[in-house]
Amino acid sequence: MRSETENAPPALEAKNISRLYKSSRRGVSDVSLRVERGEVFGLMGPNGSGKSTLLRVLSTAIAPDSGSFFVGGVDGLKEKREVRARMGLMVDRPTHYDDLTGRANAYFFARAYGMEEAKAEGALAELFEYFDLAEYADDRVKTYSYGMGKKLALIEALAHGPEVLLLDEPSLGLDYTSQLAYQSRIRDLAASGVAVLLASNQVDEVEALCDRSAFLHRGEVVAEGTPEELISRVEGVRRIVATLRNPVEYGSLAEVGGVERVVPEGRDLIFHCEERPGIVADVVGGIVRSGGDIVNLSVQRPNLEDVFVKLTGEALRDEV
Amino acid sequence: MRFDLPDAYWKKDVALFFGRKFALILKLLYPMAIIVPVAASGIPAKYAAAIIGIVAVMAGTFGAGESLTIDLNDGILVRVALTPLSPYRIVFEVLAVNAILDLIQLLPALLIVYLLHPVSPLWMLAATLAVFATLVAANCIGIFIANFTSSPADVLLYAAAILFPLIYLSGFFRNQHPTGILQTLRGFIPFAYTDDALKTVFGLTTGTTLLEILVYPTIICAVIAGAVCLTAPRLLSQRL
Repeated sequence: MRSETENAPPALEAKNISRLYKSSRRGVSDVSLRVERGEVFGLMGPNGSGKSTLLRVLSTAIAPDSGSFFVGGVDGLKEKREVRARMGLMVDRPTHYDDLTGRANAYFFARAYGMEEAKAEGALAELFEYFDLAEYADDRVKTYSYGMGKKLALIEALAHGPEVLLLDEPSLGLDYTSQLAYQSRIRDLAASGVAVLLASNQVDEVEALCDRSAFLHRGEVVAEGTPEELISRVEGVRRIVATLRNPVEYGSLAEVGGVERVVPEGRDLIFHCEERPGIVADVVGGIVRSGGDIVNLSVQRPNLEDVFVKLTGEALRDEV
Repeated sequence: MRFDLPDAYWKKDVALFFGRKFALILKLLYPMAIIVPVAASGIPAKYAAAIIGIVAVMAGTFGAGESLTIDLNDGILVRVALTPLSPYRIVFEVLAVNAILDLIQLLPALLIVYLLHPVSPLWMLAATLAVFATLVAANCIGIFIANFTSSPADVLLYAAAILFPLIYLSGFFRNQHPTGILQTLRGFIPFAYTDDALKTVFGLTTGTTLLEILVYPTIICAVIAGAVCLTAPRLLSQRL
């Protein structure tokens, strides 16, 4: 049994994938990755780094300029329909037939993936219940909120029991309870052997879910490893999170000695800093001089976002 | 057979067609609003036949072209194409179901035409099949156009460019008694057989036989439908 697993091809393997858009010359360049059965692999990178392009190639939506990929050993360029049948897919901007009900949309996709009638109905009933959408299953999708549409797309991706899941920003727009439900489901699926490739900029989500992750920057993989391995690369870095009562002009805060970046997140200001004596006091002083009223302050261990900043000199999310 | 839970592309289209009640009423009423007054009036038979033919051509071309373009822009059709369904089958179902739904829209008006202008049942059947062939051909044109369009406005533009010469050659208005190359070309256009069948319904005599109306458009439409299905991989690919 053990040797069978060892000899089995990886659930998903991409080899030297390149795909550049003619208009912008952006895309992905020479990307290789491997996702094993039961593994959750995170793909991180700022907007335009190539995450969605890579997922489009791997979902067979677009052909690469060069390179190849395999799903369970099946060639994704030559046997597209076989590969599609093995995959569950949630695209970055899910769309549905708005004049059909949520159940009708999900049923249509389940049957398109070859599920039998009774199995499809059973699986969908369970998933609608699980994602708290059963009450709205027979409403037309045009009445759904953005988050409900995302949950429906997740249901459509999961219903047919795929071997590989490709998820593009799956938790964006989900309420807190749904995020927990989704994360729990992904863990269960991985435990049952499903491979998951997850493109996300939600650092907490990737750290919580992913066994390994890779950073894409300007179309290239700049780092890959387990979250712990990646975070260990940024020893000597601290993040100071200051919650402010009032918004402040904080451009000057980046000038404080030892501060590498300042990124706003809601009412929080996040400082990526060198670890040196007196840095916290200097940051607090800078905030006070800028007119900021600090409600809460914490000094945290570095996370994947700090790794990305360290590697590329750029922030994962929008920076001011 | 369940349409509330569609298990095939064509059933999904049927569910959408009958699910939008107000749109459905409009779709059924507008052919009646155009065709019935024409059939009941005393306008020359050749123009009455032409108007019905034009309604069929427009309904087929714009219906398929615009709905496909909207679905492609929306991304839903590309999502469907990423399932294991054969892209050729998807396009065939788009074509078949759209042509049949278009016929359902036109059928009440056609039946009133047959009531007002009784002909033998065989000619009624031939005229109905000819109209269906026109709808198939028009939907093929709409699907072909959707390969290149990015908005419903584009569909109008491209459709006009393709349809005007075909309408001319079909002899709806001009080119009613073609000779030479025009006559040969007319024989390859399904719309021409609809025009001849409807002229017969309205009491004119044409040189086209019942058998020709039943056989030629069927063969021509089968070839066009096969050709348009071959565009499936391009049609269903992601627009970038």
